[in-house]
Amino acid sequence: MKNGLTVFLAAFVALGASWFGFVYGALEQLGGQKQTVVLQSTDNWPPQRTGEATLGLQVYKKYGCAACHTEQVRQTDAANEVVLTSLGDHSAQDFRDFIQSLMIVPELMPASNTIVANLAAWKGDLPETVYAGDDNTVVSTLASKLKTVKVKAETRVVPIGPDLQRGWGMRQSVAADYLYDQPVQLGDLRAGPDLSLIGVRAPDMVWHLQHLYAPQSILKGSTMPAFRTLFEVRKKIGGQASPDALVLPQQFAPADGLEVVPTVEARELAAYLVSLKANQPLYEAPFTTANAAK
Amino acid sequence: MSDEIKSGGKVPPGEPTVERSAAPMWIIVVTLTLLFIGGLYLDSHGGWFNPQVYSPYNSAERLEAFQPRSGAADVAAQGKRSYEAVCGVCHGSDGAGKPGQAPPLAGSEWVVAKGDNRLVHIPLQGLAGTLTVKGQDWNLNMAAMGIALSDADLAAVLTYMRTSWGNKAGEVTPDEVKKIRDAMGGHAQPLTGDDLKKMPE
Repeated sequence: MKNGLTVFLAAFVALGASWFGFVYGALEQLGGQKQTVVLQSTDNWPPQRTGEATLGLQVYKKYGCAACHTEQVRQTDAANEVVLTSLGDHSAQDFRDFIQSLMIVPELMPASNTIVANLAAWKGDLPETVYAGDDNTVVSTLASKLKTVKVKAETRVVPIGPDLQRGWGMRQSVAADYLYDQPVQLGDLRAGPDLSLIGVRAPDMVWHLQHLYAPQSILKGSTMPAFRTLFEVRKKIGGQASPDALVLPQQFAPADGLEVVPTVEARELAAYLVSLKANQPLYEAPFTTANAAK
Repeated sequence: MSDEIKSGGKVPPGEPTVERSAAPMWIIVVTLTLLFIGGLYLDSHGGWFNPQVYSPYNSAERLEAFQPRSGAADVAAQGKRSYEAVCGVCHGSDGAGKPGQAPPLAGSEWVVAKGDNRLVHIPLQGLAGTLTVKGQDWNLNMAAMGIALSDADLAAVLTYMRTSWGNKAGEVTPDEVKKIRDAMGGHAQPLTGDDLKKMPE
């Protein structure tokens, strides 16, 4: 081989460059992730999971939940908004005239067309979005001007995207969210919904246990397979139902004298699912807490 | 192979040959143009590899423009954070102080004084000797804990002290802190109780 060294060097450089880009670059950028602080609060994010929920992540991995569920919410845009919530004793026309008179303020000039257009067809219904857009200066100027007259307005930061519209998240997922996940279960197929916020959307562990045993008993036509192996169907001891036994609709209930009891794994998985709550605003993914589920 | 050897390396007539030639100019131009466009795209969307910048925010400035600003709440949160990091270790996160370590801040006449001039001086200069707080003498030293905090941070901390744990006094602005810090001119001597009393409130 005449050009052996050249071929070797070329291959080395090509592989080395991609290693630098995909492995080293990513590590440099995100490898130093630490707990961060929730916006406008002193809470740390993400919170440490309970022991049961930490074990639940392994159950989640073992049963391949990530094959059909994702844990990543996408966001396509964001908007700064000024929303009028109360007019006080002014009329809608007064307010429109007042806004019109504000349009000579230099800070508002770039957005004046948008603001006037927003209010053109407005009949006085509240709340009304006076401005929605990029510009933070417009928002703060408008908010401070509205404070001088006696109307009530809120400033909001609103993330936008199809995932958020479906209610799957309150903001996009960021690297810090996965700080305590080992391994991270991002998932890449959505046969089922995204689970980043499932702990807020379905905070009840009993709901999760029933859903795992018989998904169709909760959501008719659900395509999720039933994870019966996570449960034990056993004889009622002394004819008495265990306090942990699932309460199932007739159609899904076992034969008389039997009961369905969750195993340890089922409990851990449910605890993990309940712990998935990406509902706090962070510096890298801000939104206004007024919208946040507490 | 064997044919080549037999013919002594000579190419038989009628066979195609390869010649060395320079790469066509258009490929170079197109490649450089694509690289340039890619560079422009990276410049405007990459956020300079800042780990806090995620799409759709394409730069640190744009992300900054979307931070919620609700004024008072933001200052209070900032004040609480810095308080717990700097002051809370001795004065307690409930502001009740700790015997033998630091006097209370909750209800302390020095904290809730009408003016904040004296209060701003304390973290900037430190204390030495006896100070009477809520009728009790505290003979302790305090280092100038606030000297490393920015004006805005120190103002937020003091505002937090003056408005928390039942304290109801006015806020401290970063401008006041800056004025007092500038007037000190970097020659900070620990204050005694008497020094403080000589100062205007």
